[in-house]
Amino acid sequence: MPVSAGPVSAVLVRPLARTLPWRMIAAAGTLGLLLAATPRLAGEGANAWLAVTSLRASAVAFALGAAFLLDDPARNTTAAVPTRRVVRHGLRLALMAPVAALWWTGALLLVPRELRPPAAGITVEAAAVLVLALTGAAFAIHRGDGARPGQAVAGFLLASAVLGPLLSPGSWALFVTPDDPRWAAAHDRWALLLCAVLAAGALCAAEPVRRFRLRRLMSPSGTSDPSRA
Amino acid sequence: MTTTLDTPAVVAARPRASWAAVFALARFEARRLLLRMPVLVAFAVYLAWIVWRTRDSFGGFPALQDADRATQGGPLLVGLAVLLSANHAVLRSGRYGTDRHFAVLVLQPWRRTVAHLLSVVPVTLLATVCVAGQFTWEALKPGAVGHGSPAELLVGPLSVLLLGAFGVLLARLLAAPLAAPLLIVFLLLFSVFTSGFGGQGWSRWLMPVVGEGSSHTLPSDLLGRPAAWHALYLAGLALSAALLAVLLSGGARLRTVQAGVAGAVALTLVGAVGQSRDVPQETSEARTRVSVAPEKVQHCDERDGTTYCAFPEWTPRTGDWAEVVDGVRSLAGPGAQDRPLVVRQRVDARYGLDSDPLLAPSARPGEVTVGTAWGGNRIPEFATAVAGVLVTGKEEAVSGICDGRMVTVMWLALADLPDPMAGLRSVRLDDSDTGSAIVVSQTEPLRMSAAHTELVRELLQRPRNETAAQVRSNWAELTAPDVTTDRVAQMLGLDVPEPDEEEDECL
Repeated sequence: MPVSAGPVSAVLVRPLARTLPWRMIAAAGTLGLLLAATPRLAGEGANAWLAVTSLRASAVAFALGAAFLLDDPARNTTAAVPTRRVVRHGLRLALMAPVAALWWTGALLLVPRELRPPAAGITVEAAAVLVLALTGAAFAIHRGDGARPGQAVAGFLLASAVLGPLLSPGSWALFVTPDDPRWAAAHDRWALLLCAVLAAGALCAAEPVRRFRLRRLMSPSGTSDPSRA
Repeated sequence: MTTTLDTPAVVAARPRASWAAVFALARFEARRLLLRMPVLVAFAVYLAWIVWRTRDSFGGFPALQDADRATQGGPLLVGLAVLLSANHAVLRSGRYGTDRHFAVLVLQPWRRTVAHLLSVVPVTLLATVCVAGQFTWEALKPGAVGHGSPAELLVGPLSVLLLGAFGVLLARLLAAPLAAPLLIVFLLLFSVFTSGFGGQGWSRWLMPVVGEGSSHTLPSDLLGRPAAWHALYLAGLALSAALLAVLLSGGARLRTVQAGVAGAVALTLVGAVGQSRDVPQETSEARTRVSVAPEKVQHCDERDGTTYCAFPEWTPRTGDWAEVVDGVRSLAGPGAQDRPLVVRQRVDARYGLDSDPLLAPSARPGEVTVGTAWGGNRIPEFATAVAGVLVTGKEEAVSGICDGRMVTVMWLALADLPDPMAGLRSVRLDDSDTGSAIVVSQTEPLRMSAAHTELVRELLQRPRNETAAQVRSNWAELTAPDVTTDRVAQMLGLDVPEPDEEEDECL
């Protein structure tokens, strides 16, 4: 039976903080800040389009780092602890959230004031990308056996970031500049996307009641199932 | 990996067997690389892009000196996927903690790196096949003219090779799984940044794919792009990255590798220097010659009273022009039907591909200008130019007209096209078929008032032969300078359009 979350999670904070992939997040954050500083570095040549593009790239860079947040080399041993997975994931998230907020504020401030896109809109976009990364990681753990899904999730996130602008229908107008009249409507869609991904993430954060696998359906004896460590 | 385990250690003591193991590992890694999800997705998107784009690219009339450059962008997507996947493949052993087992295997680390580098080659070959397929498709289109450049075609596959080798090098430099994704984000923003605010001159040629600001087509010998030097530069860069990766993974003591790195860097520098030189003197002279006096290099061909003068690469297109000219002529009135015309191809190549200069209308009587592009909007544009010269006698006089002759010009131009109303919309700048508008042209634009538009639309909706008879019988008056729009309407049996104060004048 799961024990009450309070005192146990307080005990967990310190070891969890040690196991978080801080180096990854630091590397991604540093590159993200560098990308966000592009308009400032470009000087005269910068425009609003460059500013919003570099902020988007910066958000993707940070999210790539955050995709490794749920990586836990010791997952196969921690899976058996009485603390629920929601609590463990939630604690990791809670430890990273202030860092992410601080980092994003810094990235926004790096963009010159006159070029800065509306903060609310671009923050929704960044949050959606970050949540997509975390949901991807949670989903990989929910469905798979891997202890460290970060790399695959980062690949998925990168593919989405490259293919999204190329393949998303033009009428959705997700990747518009602030002077576009569709900016507000586009950010309603971003908010919707954020909520949908959040909901999916919340579902994936829980421990699966049973593993639904096609292979097992085909082979009830389970002999064709790969043995788990 | 398992394949290498099959190689007995005793045999491995001989260098030849160890190379066999390298090739076995390369084969294994190549198969894995081709089946990795990012590479599969990238190839799927790339193939879809080729099909979607090439179906109706260049209006069905490609100039191959442009079509070769159009193959360069797509392979970059595959290249990024290969960078990521090759990088992950090198890091796989670190991720699964099997690095230490390699000590007992026959392959030294640098040979493993060589195998990883070789595994990029099949993907590159596949990309080459895709590029060749796309270009062949363009070349087989019935309207294709010009010459492609093998060096321009090599840029796509070489970019894949370069990015793949760079992925391996990156894994040897930084054993972090996050390095490749972050590098890709950086490269994407960097390429967006440099293409928008791009370096001029030599620095823009340091990028793998170098686009041009202009979309107009030049004869292939006037492009002035150092394509061969750039291909050499890319090959040198890919080789440098590959050999550097071998050097970093323990090949430093090998003389061959040291010499190879030096050679590859030298090759890159030679390419970089070669590609950064200005347009050669003889090319700029040829550009001026072709722009100022095209008749000196053109080949002329006479058909049914019209002389078609085209640059040597465009002579196969004479038939397409003749079809339009004959169609317009067949509707014209007496005197104009058999007036000798010269269709002269002209291009302003003096600024190369840096800008899209507008051609000045021809001052010679009976001479019609045709550009280097064809298909799509270019066909009604050319028909309008032919009709204008038949009505006014001189191309220079066409752009100024704002009287009733505009109705005759536009009807003559469009009536013989397969879909006249679509033609009308496509020659007008705002794609409209009501109100006043600018009519685009290879030379000076024309202007239609709202009344002209209304009359032309009504004429195009009536049976063609009926209008043709009326035009022929009233030809002299319809083409007289300063004929009013109302008079033209009367002669052609149409209602006189109601004057609209705001839109009565040409734009």
